[in-house]
Amino acid sequence: MESSNTYLIRPNHQHKFKPAIVKECVREIVRERLSGLRYDPEEVPELSRSLADCIKDKVKNAGFDRYKLVVQVVIGEQRGQGVKMSCRCLWDADTDSCAEDVFINDSLFCVVAVFGIYYY
Amino acid sequence: MPGMEDFHNGSEGSFNSDEADSVVKECIENVVAGDDYSQSQVNKWTASIVERCLTQLVKMGKPYKYIVTCAVMQKTGAGLHTANSCYWDTAMDGSCTVRWENRTMYCVVSVFAVAIA
Repeated sequence: MESSNTYLIRPNHQHKFKPAIVKECVREIVRERLSGLRYDPEEVPELSRSLADCIKDKVKNAGFDRYKLVVQVVIGEQRGQGVKMSCRCLWDADTDSCAEDVFINDSLFCVVAVFGIYYY
Repeated sequence: MPGMEDFHNGSEGSFNSDEADSVVKECIENVVAGDDYSQSQVNKWTASIVERCLTQLVKMGKPYKYIVTCAVMQKTGAGLHTANSCYWDTAMDGSCTVRWENRTMYCVVSVFAVAIA
């Protein structure tokens, strides 16, 4: 990541991290990769890793300059258990944001969270 | 100028994940140690685990932005996998994930620390 000084402490409105766009990107990828899939304990570790990388690359190419990205993918088997996920962040609410998406089918559930942090 | 200290960030280096690890473990124990999974309480637990971790991390006084996520899952024999992919400065930023369990539930907490410029 180029760390040249731009002396910009706030991103331009056009370049702000837009959760709606990112959520759409994530949705597309997840639905494409996971529709109709069954939970398989051998494959899921590889699947979650590659999903995370794939989503990170897609969001990177969506053109959010000077944003550092964190993508978290959680895939779990559906056995009628209860799960609760929450997150809290200490950041600059003006510039930083997050996008989440949940995908559920009969045999698995998948939660994706993408965080964008501005690099001053 | 006398009395003015030269604030030098110096060689603070990267995120210390061992320290964060122990902070997080302590916070989890303080909230859910000894409890059994309960649908009515789980909202409260995740919120307070996450808040505690964040306040403790901030107390360390480092120049980082933090993201803390927590997942609590009932033990029913189901499998769970988490994966993270990050686009950041590998020298300064870092993460740490803590897995904790008791008889009736699993708790996975991830902390991501992103350096401020």
